[in-house]
Amino acid sequence: FRFKDSLAEELQSADLVISHAGAGSCLETLEKGKPLIVVINDKLMDNHQLELAKQLHRDGYVLYCNCSTLVETLQSMDLSALKPFPPGQPEKFASFLDKVFGLQ
Amino acid sequence: TGGHTTEILRLLSCLSESYSPRHYVLADSDKMSEAKIRSFEQKRAETFSESQFSLDRIPRSREVRQPWISSVVTTLYSILYSLPLTYKRKPDLILCNGPGTCVPVCLSAFLLGLLRIKRTIIVYVESICRVETLSLSGKILYYFSDYFIVQWPDLKKKYPKSVYLGRIV
Repeated sequence: FRFKDSLAEELQSADLVISHAGAGSCLETLEKGKPLIVVINDKLMDNHQLELAKQLHRDGYVLYCNCSTLVETLQSMDLSALKPFPPGQPEKFASFLDKVFGLQ
Repeated sequence: TGGHTTEILRLLSCLSESYSPRHYVLADSDKMSEAKIRSFEQKRAETFSESQFSLDRIPRSREVRQPWISSVVTTLYSILYSLPLTYKRKPDLILCNGPGTCVPVCLSAFLLGLLRIKRTIIVYVESICRVETLSLSGKILYYFSDYFIVQWPDLKKKYPKSVYLGRIV
């Protein structure tokens, strides 16, 4: 299981995902519409990874805890309070670039 | 690398064929991105049969957490290495999103612009992971890019010259 190319299959069949704060993991999970609990590793902390997890939590998309509070979080969680995660809009970027190059 | 490649391919997903041919520049140590890129371009060729792309590799300018001083030396080396590549391709647009690899490429294009050899538009899109602070590449290229795009409002406040379009990946 260590370094499978993609966890897409597992993600698809999961009811709840508990993950580290890596952006790829968080976004992939949210985009599949799965409830997510992000666990922050206080010791391995890469501060910038934390930024996205914190923001996603502030915006109500994920639950958030550290290793020692995980059990408590699992016991008291209310997954229905999580908001659905809207997809990004690369078309806005394309539109912007088109304007820059006068292609509109 | 990894996340950066995924993000940049999403950015490319809605671009028209005016943005062609596409030249991808990768770090020599990057193993996974090539497959993702080829897969993306293959799918694209299904819709746009005339689609063209190429892949070039340059030495990685900086390892994660590499100290300051040696980073300057390795980045200078990467800039020297990138110059002939940028000169050969003479891109109209450089699109990058943050891996260390992009700094020498952009700086070499900036240099070619100063020397009036080719004026390239440099568009930098900071990663979606960056909510409150810029990456090191971002901090540098904020001053060298023509358009600097951020994906969270806090960064727009801190870096007023940036462009905020919301989440675009």
